[in-house]
Amino acid sequence: MQPRRSVAGALLGPATLAVVLGLVVPLAILFRYSLNRFVPGRLMVEALTFENYVKFFTDPYYVAVLVRTLRVSGVCMVLCLVMGFPLAYALARTRSRWKSGLVMLVVLPLFVGNAVRAAGWMVMFGSRGVLNTLLGVVGLIDRPLQLMYTEAAVIVGITAVNLPFMVLTLESVIEGIDPAIEEAAASLGARPLQVFRRVILPLAMPGVLAGTILVFILGMNAYATPILLGGPRFQMMGPLVYGQFAGLNNWPFGAALSFVLMAATLTLSAASNLLIQRRYRR
Amino acid sequence: MSKSNDLTRRRFVKSLAGAGVATLGRPGRSTAAEKMVLGTWGGDYSKLLTQNVETPILGPKGIEVVHDIANDSPRKAKVIAEQRLPRGTTDLQALSAAGSREMFNAGVLETIDYTKISNAPNLLAPMKTPYSVGHIYSGQVILYNPAMISPAPTSYNDLWDPKHTGKVGIIDIQYVGMLEAAALVSGGNMENFEPGKAKLMELRKLNFKMYPTNETMAQALKTGEVGMCVMWKARGVMWQNAGVPVQAVAPKEGVVLYVSDFVIPKNAPNKTAAYAYLDAMLAPSAQIGFAETMGYNPTVSNAKVPDAVAKRIGFTKEEQARLLAPNYDYIAKNDSQLKEWWDKIFKA
Repeated sequence: MQPRRSVAGALLGPATLAVVLGLVVPLAILFRYSLNRFVPGRLMVEALTFENYVKFFTDPYYVAVLVRTLRVSGVCMVLCLVMGFPLAYALARTRSRWKSGLVMLVVLPLFVGNAVRAAGWMVMFGSRGVLNTLLGVVGLIDRPLQLMYTEAAVIVGITAVNLPFMVLTLESVIEGIDPAIEEAAASLGARPLQVFRRVILPLAMPGVLAGTILVFILGMNAYATPILLGGPRFQMMGPLVYGQFAGLNNWPFGAALSFVLMAATLTLSAASNLLIQRRYRR
Repeated sequence: MSKSNDLTRRRFVKSLAGAGVATLGRPGRSTAAEKMVLGTWGGDYSKLLTQNVETPILGPKGIEVVHDIANDSPRKAKVIAEQRLPRGTTDLQALSAAGSREMFNAGVLETIDYTKISNAPNLLAPMKTPYSVGHIYSGQVILYNPAMISPAPTSYNDLWDPKHTGKVGIIDIQYVGMLEAAALVSGGNMENFEPGKAKLMELRKLNFKMYPTNETMAQALKTGEVGMCVMWKARGVMWQNAGVPVQAVAPKEGVVLYVSDFVIPKNAPNKTAAYAYLDAMLAPSAQIGFAETMGYNPTVSNAKVPDAVAKRIGFTKEEQARLLAPNYDYIAKNDSQLKEWWDKIFKA
């Protein structure tokens, strides 16, 4: 067994090294930067201070940006789950010869970049866009609705971007659930809703968990969609981090924001994982 | 940096008056085949540098130019981050005058040796500092759509006129320009934008519309979503060329200058090529190319722009008398807090 273990260790080595060099080292450097001090025109000054973190948590503006990011990501996550589950179920259970084509249709949006998809929504939501024009033509509105540069537009945009991830994750898990179990439940008198609640959902829970965490993380780190559909007055954490680094050259505060964002995402993902696991272990 | 080297309105106007001075340059130097890296903005600016400077002038001299394209903030950060290295990664950087001043204050820029630039004698005096060479310039004006804004505005105060409620557009990334405009009509000046903050807050009541970029503002002006904004005249010319129905007005409070500079980092690996580039970009043909396509004014006296173009991009004598040079030290020192105020208070 010993030689096998050493071979396995050797095989793990390159990937581990890549993670250490590509993730852990940059994160360590970034954390060190977050303890530095920003002086305009000098990029940053060596220091060992938590003032950037204090600034974030004591300023209602930054806390509001974090809360907004959590809210938008949470709403998008729920929407993806609610809309994605029926679609994933239908895809998993279909015996159609077009099944692979249908799966491709779900994957297709991922071939187009986020910015391009957001541009499509801009055409849809603009004051003279498709939606406003249609509503005007049918006489439902007499002046254009403000759809662009709203939180709703951002939620629609992020949900559209993240939905395929949820569907694909759920579909693979639901496919692993034997349809005979559902049939057995039905034959024992369970109504469809009961079958879903008592049989399918608990068995699909690993997929639900993986999908929601994936979609939540993607939502928390969204950049192009909030910028393009939210406009200049709508701020989420991703664009805020970028603005500090690339706009103001305030690397220490940008680094602190990155860690706050990462900590919030990891904490919530881990907490939800624990909660759901406990709930369905019973 | 001695104050005499600063760009002042008087010196600028004097320089424009002397724009007819004959060419004093000596023939361009020939350089060996080599490669250089230029940090620049992307888009039209990068394209026009290739089209007007690199292909026709530097190419035949055997100088190959690689563009390091990014906005100025990341490029400034890069130059500062590289300052301890014996060799940096760029030979030349294109920055706004405010950005080049900030880099100069950070101590990362080479002192320009004007004897190495044959076209330097034609350079307008205000475009010449010990650390930067001005490439092109324009001024901040009010752009308006005559079909929506009548009579034509004359003052920045017209942005606050209640009859234009809902018709004023603001560009998020042009926060410094808006603060300058607001400061000029509220008791502030180029060294103090603070009074402008309260004035801008008044604008919130007039239902202004905010756009993230210059391009989105152009689109809003084109569709009639808004009818008036503060912008550089050069950009207005570009928009006119693209069919945006706008006219430019030099506000009576003053026309704030915008200068695009070139600077050499102290640790530039190929300073010879950098000087060759500076010389080439000041060549009349290159300068006229930028004036005709991008609407910016030449920074050399011997670039004769066609009258029709000069009328659209330039400033009359009366307008020249109102040219205002920004205080770049003030901007560099306060940029961070001004942006924070803009994001947290004004946009909230």
